[in-house]
Amino acid sequence: MATSFKTFDPNKDSVVTRNLLHEAIPMTGTIVSGTYADLNIKNYSHGMFQSVYDYPFLSSSANHIFDLTCGYPATSSLSGASSTQNAKKINIYNQMAQVLAGFDAEGAVRRFDKDGDLTSGDKINEAYFINLTRLLSKDEVKKGSFTLSLGVNATYGSPFTETINITDASGSDGYKVNSPAGEYGILFANNGTGTPMATADPQPVGLLYYQAGIAVLTASVFGGILSSSAEMNASAETVDAVLSGSAISGNCDDLRHRFLNLSFNNSTELNSTVYFCRTNNTDFNYSSNPTYLSASKMVVKNNSQDVPVSYVTAVGLYSPDNELLAVAKLSEPLKKDPTTEFTIRVRLDY
Amino acid sequence: MGFLDNSGDIILDAVLTDLGRKRLAEGNGRFRVSKFALGDDEIDYGLYNKNASGGSAYYDINILQTPVLEAFTNNMSSMKSRLMSYSENDLLYLPVIVPATSLGESAFYTGLRSYIVLVDEETVNALTTNNNSLDAGLLNGYRPDMGTNLLRTDQGLNTAELSKDSPINPSLLETQYFVQIDNRLGFLRPSSGGDAENPAAFNPTTIDDDSIATYIFTANDGTRVVTNIAAGAESDINGPRGTRVALKLASSLDMRTSTFLFTQLGSQGTANITSGTKTLLAANYKFIDSTVRVSGVSTGYTLDIPVRFVKKTS
Repeated sequence: MATSFKTFDPNKDSVVTRNLLHEAIPMTGTIVSGTYADLNIKNYSHGMFQSVYDYPFLSSSANHIFDLTCGYPATSSLSGASSTQNAKKINIYNQMAQVLAGFDAEGAVRRFDKDGDLTSGDKINEAYFINLTRLLSKDEVKKGSFTLSLGVNATYGSPFTETINITDASGSDGYKVNSPAGEYGILFANNGTGTPMATADPQPVGLLYYQAGIAVLTASVFGGILSSSAEMNASAETVDAVLSGSAISGNCDDLRHRFLNLSFNNSTELNSTVYFCRTNNTDFNYSSNPTYLSASKMVVKNNSQDVPVSYVTAVGLYSPDNELLAVAKLSEPLKKDPTTEFTIRVRLDY
Repeated sequence: MGFLDNSGDIILDAVLTDLGRKRLAEGNGRFRVSKFALGDDEIDYGLYNKNASGGSAYYDINILQTPVLEAFTNNMSSMKSRLMSYSENDLLYLPVIVPATSLGESAFYTGLRSYIVLVDEETVNALTTNNNSLDAGLLNGYRPDMGTNLLRTDQGLNTAELSKDSPINPSLLETQYFVQIDNRLGFLRPSSGGDAENPAAFNPTTIDDDSIATYIFTANDGTRVVTNIAAGAESDINGPRGTRVALKLASSLDMRTSTFLFTQLGSQGTANITSGTKTLLAANYKFIDSTVRVSGVSTGYTLDIPVRFVKKTS
């Protein structure tokens, strides 16, 4: 009896696996701070955050790459009725904190902790937030791959004369799991160009939430950790002054002005089913291709004693109702005759 | 689709078809891979050179260099020719399926190499006076139970090198067929039976995301669609005969009652259609060209039969 289908043995012809796919995401600071004369920067009338695109955002070619915002809690020394957008900055901080740091036993919003030890230690009170879009971060930021370079030269006009590199270098083998938003690592700052930091040792300057794709940076990257505080705007204001005295969008502009480079790898979790299409020597040696026959006679045979031969270019996966559910194509034809056997491994990713 | 890179190791480019994605989205367990088939759509076996001077290593040198296209996601565009498994290695002839056009009732419409399906009563009445006497190749899609014209295919070894009186090798005998038709345009009907009030009908096994309905017919399944061709009986098969598929076509309700599909998919008539003394002028009808696909389930051979749906518009 002829047949063109071969049934899988469910116990041994398929297996489910999980794979991680990583992509490198390099982001040059010039895109963020000047290439498109800020046509790729979108500000909103509500003023709560600023969106950064990789191309002028009115173009359909533009991709949303990340959002910037900043804030502080009500307990911050910067909080006050005279501070610009004071309520919005508090709202932003609390929103980010309750999503990323969660609530304490009394139901109060936890503040971001510098070292991840929620029971004690310094808190991050004044913070910048870099929210990576899902387009870039995919399922998560790969641990240990995040590097952000910031220009921290004291003079506003030449920010990149001195730089620091902020990495989650400890993330690959030491990360925290006490966040409701998944795993996070501590961001450490090191000297990049020059020696702008007050101490040579790496300093904790923020948190990176891997699955959420959000980096929380303490405002002290432009102040307390440096030998000389950075001028955040043309008026030579300090970071604390602009955090309290400027709108969120102005603070985002100031951060972008000192944004040199950002790079990280993302991870996509692929769940795969691998089907082993086993072809024995007696299987699939003939073809129903119309060119296989000339007046019903096989063109690959001179007489009946010649071995039949066929060439595989595709594998079709079918349902019990013979519906074609998936197709796999080989990159070159594969010869099949009664002297050969092979197993074609077809992997479907979900 | 582009070609796959064939400069290095053999790689496999796998995709879910649009139908596979639909079944997955339905979430009702219909996405279940239970079997596989191998295909060779790109291969032209005419390139196989059994007389290559360099010997057998050179017989298929041109075939092995065939570039392979990336996988299509349309389920109807892939796996059109499947590889077959037969227990014997000494077969020299394989069966084919051909339209049985030498038989008067199932001949193509003269000069068109296609069947013409008249989709509504007005169109039928333009070519016959009693709904059932139409020239060969004209199928009454409005009342399939009327008239004798039908669509018919024969299966067997189409070679004069073997006697038509010889019985066909049982492993080459096809006993089950897939028949596919665009469900927007028409339905399959039995070659006899039914009337206007109670038309005999078949239910498709599946209808895919492109509205292609698949029917399955088996010999002795009671539908009388698949029958054996007696040895030596009249047929378009020159050698040993296998089985015959006989069907009629009914037009869909949309085709009967609306010109929408004809406007969207069809064209204005280009030639007059005649039956007996009656003529439907080209200017007075629109048509849609489609196919009915008949595939042998076990022998894998596929035949696309051209079908033209015609509607009188003025």
